[in-house]
Amino acid sequence: MRLKLDPRTKLYMILVVSAVVLMSATTTFLWTVRIIMTLIPVILLVIEKRYSSALWFAFLYTVALIVTFMFLSEESTGIFKALLTGYSGIVVQFMPALITAWYVVRTTKIGEFMSAMQKMHVPDGITISLAVVMRFFPTIREEYSAISDAMKMRGISLGGGNAVKMVEYRMIPLLFSCVNIGDELSAAAITRGLGGEVKRTSVGELRLRAADWLLITAFTAVAVLFVIFKYIL
Amino acid sequence: MSTDTNDKTNRLKPKDFITVGIFTAILFVVEFACGMLGYIHPFIVASYVVMIPLVGAVPMMLFYTKVEKFGMITIMSVLLAIIMFVTGMGFLGAPLIILSGVIADLIAKSGKYKSFKKTVISNGIFSLWICANYFPVIVSADSYRKDLLDGGYSAEYCNNLFMAINYKTIGVLLILCFVFGCIGAVIGKAIVRKHFEKAGIV
Repeated sequence: MRLKLDPRTKLYMILVVSAVVLMSATTTFLWTVRIIMTLIPVILLVIEKRYSSALWFAFLYTVALIVTFMFLSEESTGIFKALLTGYSGIVVQFMPALITAWYVVRTTKIGEFMSAMQKMHVPDGITISLAVVMRFFPTIREEYSAISDAMKMRGISLGGGNAVKMVEYRMIPLLFSCVNIGDELSAAAITRGLGGEVKRTSVGELRLRAADWLLITAFTAVAVLFVIFKYIL
Repeated sequence: MSTDTNDKTNRLKPKDFITVGIFTAILFVVEFACGMLGYIHPFIVASYVVMIPLVGAVPMMLFYTKVEKFGMITIMSVLLAIIMFVTGMGFLGAPLIILSGVIADLIAKSGKYKSFKKTVISNGIFSLWICANYFPVIVSADSYRKDLLDGGYSAEYCNNLFMAINYKTIGVLLILCFVFGCIGAVIGKAIVRKHFEKAGIV
């Protein structure tokens, strides 16, 4: 089965999750709400048959939660504890937002995204740039690993311990390939009529279906619960 | 490239938007990589104002060579604000990010996007967006501290963090950010010249 969600639902998910991770969970109940909220994108990833990333996210998140609850407290000191705090802090704090963003980026076709943004009357400039950013993060990762491989082949691992060189050796080739990819990308986009004078039309029609409404309700509930139990009660 | 000044060519084209998108992505990767280090010690969080402008200046200066019309730097700042929000870093900093983007854009425009001096200052102003990272620490100090402690941070980390970043030091941090943005621009320009102009990319 393939669940087809409207990009607007996905954007709403991102909005709610990003807002919720800003408010730290203070009670057991709030933690529960937050963990359930994090589970939704994981389940969605499983439905999309992206088993490995779903497992990875679930695993990292669980470990970080255990570390946070079992080992860390206000009294923890020392460099090891600090690193541990760092790791679990990043994961627990940002993982919900990260996994939602990951899910959205991986499952939204650029065309769908563009027509959803057009329906919401977002200016073209923002839409196009944002679409490029979305598409570009995986590209940067691929290019970066290619650069690392090339450096390994020539026996350069860290740039000889020189911090400036370390940055330079990685940044310059990365910029080179990104600029070239950008040129190719704009050539391809213009060929397909991006930036033309007429309003763009879309092949796939966007409609909010039952699953969309269900998720929108669920995430609204999460946000409302969080605000009520944290600030009002 | 085209140097016409009538309205039609002054409008941003898809190619410009794509350029903005690419450099925003790169800049964010730089910020994210530096941001990871901040979890080791709070003083590193304060040193973002030195690190990110210096490292980020290389892509920024390459970006500036591609900017020819008003709006590109502004859009970049809007995108950064959106990405900061999505990755869970709050919306308090958004006005600062967008404001610094607009001002940086206006300064660069006043030099017709060609003047090196104006570009340096513009990059300095644009670098102020990094300080948006600190806003939750300053604006809502007490509740943020409690949040951090509840979130599993040590009291030691919090004390150091609030010693390094508070409403008294934010002025210094902003100035440092500007200064290192300018220094970064000069270094970045030299690097761009060394690698990219020789290769004929720019």
